[in-house]
Amino acid sequence: MSDIGSVSVLLSFFVTVYGLGASVAAGKTGSEALAKSAGNAVLSVSFLLLVAVCCLLYELVTLDFSIRYVALNTSTDLPVIYRVTALWAGQSGSLLLWSFILSLYASFAVARGEKRGGDPYVNAVLCAVAAFFLFLIAYIEKPFEPLGAAVGEGRGLNPILQNGYMAVHPLTLYVGYVGITVPFAFGIGALLGGDLGGRWIRNSRKYALFSWTFLSAGLLLGARWAYLELGWGGYWAWDPVENAAFMPWLTATAFLHSVMIQERKEMLKKWNLVLLIITFFLSIFGTFITRTGIVSSVHSFARSDIGPPFVVFMAFILVFSFALLAWRSGDMESRERFESAVSRESAFLFNNLLFLAAAFAVFLGTIFPILSEALTGRKILVGPPYFNAVGVPIGLVLILLMGVGPLVSWGKASPRNLRKSFLFPALVALAVLAALVAAGMRDVVAVVTFSICGFVASTVFSEYFRGIRVRSARGENPVSAFFNLVARNRRRYGGYIVHLGVVLLVIGITASSVFVTQREVVLDRGDSFSLGGYELVFRGVRRFSNDAKDGVSAELSVFRNGKSVSTMYPEKNIYKYEGNREINQETEVALRSTFRDDLYLILSEVGEGGRVSIRALLNPMVNWIWAGGLVIVFGAAVTMWPGRKRKRSSADG
Amino acid sequence: MKANRGLVAAVAVIACLVSWLVFAGVRDSMVYYVTVDELFSQTPDVYGEKVRVSGTVVSGSIRNEIDDSLRFTMEAGAGRLDVEYGGVVPDIFADGVEAVVEGELSSDNVFRADLLLAKCPTKYESEDSLYERKKS
Repeated sequence: MSDIGSVSVLLSFFVTVYGLGASVAAGKTGSEALAKSAGNAVLSVSFLLLVAVCCLLYELVTLDFSIRYVALNTSTDLPVIYRVTALWAGQSGSLLLWSFILSLYASFAVARGEKRGGDPYVNAVLCAVAAFFLFLIAYIEKPFEPLGAAVGEGRGLNPILQNGYMAVHPLTLYVGYVGITVPFAFGIGALLGGDLGGRWIRNSRKYALFSWTFLSAGLLLGARWAYLELGWGGYWAWDPVENAAFMPWLTATAFLHSVMIQERKEMLKKWNLVLLIITFFLSIFGTFITRTGIVSSVHSFARSDIGPPFVVFMAFILVFSFALLAWRSGDMESRERFESAVSRESAFLFNNLLFLAAAFAVFLGTIFPILSEALTGRKILVGPPYFNAVGVPIGLVLILLMGVGPLVSWGKASPRNLRKSFLFPALVALAVLAALVAAGMRDVVAVVTFSICGFVASTVFSEYFRGIRVRSARGENPVSAFFNLVARNRRRYGGYIVHLGVVLLVIGITASSVFVTQREVVLDRGDSFSLGGYELVFRGVRRFSNDAKDGVSAELSVFRNGKSVSTMYPEKNIYKYEGNREINQETEVALRSTFRDDLYLILSEVGEGGRVSIRALLNPMVNWIWAGGLVIVFGAAVTMWPGRKRKRSSADG
Repeated sequence: MKANRGLVAAVAVIACLVSWLVFAGVRDSMVYYVTVDELFSQTPDVYGEKVRVSGTVVSGSIRNEIDDSLRFTMEAGAGRLDVEYGGVVPDIFADGVEAVVEGELSSDNVFRADLLLAKCPTKYESEDSLYERKKS
């Protein structure tokens, strides 16, 4: 099987290089036969990579330790599900998956293209990117490389990666990350081909939205994994690997908004291309820092030989794309101008600037150690305080804009328009402010954030309300008016749902970071302590063991207002199989999660005579974050949902 | 054009504010990152300064008293550093791992850390001799 796999990888590299050549030739000559052939090359690469992925999966599941990748990432005690997820636990497997997902996107773009074989220049860009990653797995990080020694047991999968979220989080993130290549290819393809009308942006929009959705979901799944598994009580640490995925998300979000101006007003054409280039660069940069561990990170992965090719590739992306943009820039003058600083367009523009500024600030903070070492010879870090100090103000203004944007009209907003549409949301914001202060909340950031959230939520509701009222006035009943409203304008009303999800998310983030309480206690059996409104009684430790691990858990009864609400068991596990993995100890937190708060217990130490030390955190409203994430994904799905196929049905039928 | 000028001014204000945020953020939160031996080459200036130090945990040096803080020694090059720490200990923290601590070195040459991170010496994919890539 491994031979089939490595031959597939090698072949797919050559076919991709052929596809690149054929696409460029087809673009130059306009030959349809060549374009078709290039399209077929793309399709066959995805088939070849499917074969390679299946081969590697087969080797992983059957534990063929003669293959280096299998020996490094699995062991005989590993459940089948984690043998499968080991596909993306290591370097070469991850790169293989990257290439495979890219080839699927590329095939999709080819199949959906207006011409047979798709747009040759778009294919050329997709093939070029794929060729880079395939080069890495064909020559440097080979997934099917033999181990060269006979071993009876593999090194096993790191226990902290043995978690359901870790099984889906990288996959989700990759689908998002890799998907950004497609809109980038459409943009660069348009620059290469010279067709700079609205076509490329219409074609790329859904891909951009699709990958944005997966990127968002992937980020949140990663946060949830960190929260449940890493056991320090938080979900986001501004770690380089987290930032790596967050930066392209920021610029992709900017792009999704500024696209609307280009469609509506034919403005910002160059700007949109700049955003796409930056977003794509950041997604490659993110893969680079994650995969090479250049920026020291708590979860940086293997150091390896792929650093230099990555640097060359990233430099090439920037130089080539911006040179191309400069060359074509004469063809992209906007006919229209911004009429007013108070208009929908300028709200979008400010949104864009702030997202870009946020991405830049995160980028600077992430590479600060490298930058400072290069400039001053001393390594300087900027930690979470930096990111919070920069991120919170920018974030707050962005959320405010999220409420303001939909309220101001296109072109030039009249004072009357402003008064009329701002009145209700502004009153809601003031009411929230007054209520919170009256309830005794004194934290300025929290009060301001919640008031802004009230403002945004009420703009969303009033937009829905207005739409429904117009329809009801025409005789529709309110329920069907609601559904028709969304169905007729999915993008707008789906977008509002996404905004509502962001509001929930922001409320959760604010509450859980501002109002967290924690205690560290040492307990003998029968001791109790209180945290927030909870009373916890320590009932003793229990030792247990199963095939995989020896564990010890502490039993704590949880009371609220004198009533027993739960029994919690924070654990400390020692994995039996020593293998060759470094991490055999794992702390399993106990979590009682409600929409009000999360009680989060960490068993720090078990001492003589069953005495334990426990770190207990009360994180308010963390569930709002995950709920917000679900709402965001739902809203994005509404936005992307295919419309009724009015145009195509006649052609198909 | 009047409105455009307003827009340019607004953009300039945003750019200034963001630059200031970044500058102030860096100024207030920057931490020097050194190895244990580099740390000792900077005494006495470094006493009381917030620094981040990396080194390898000396085998057998970890003392873990239940109601006391964690104490251990880390080394790099010729330097040896005694560390005292009182927070969450990462799962992968053990003898011989590469540890990173953040805190202050006091004049008694004990490092009081308020942050402890641990890295596997060779990251997630270790390169035990058995699994070493055969260079041909």
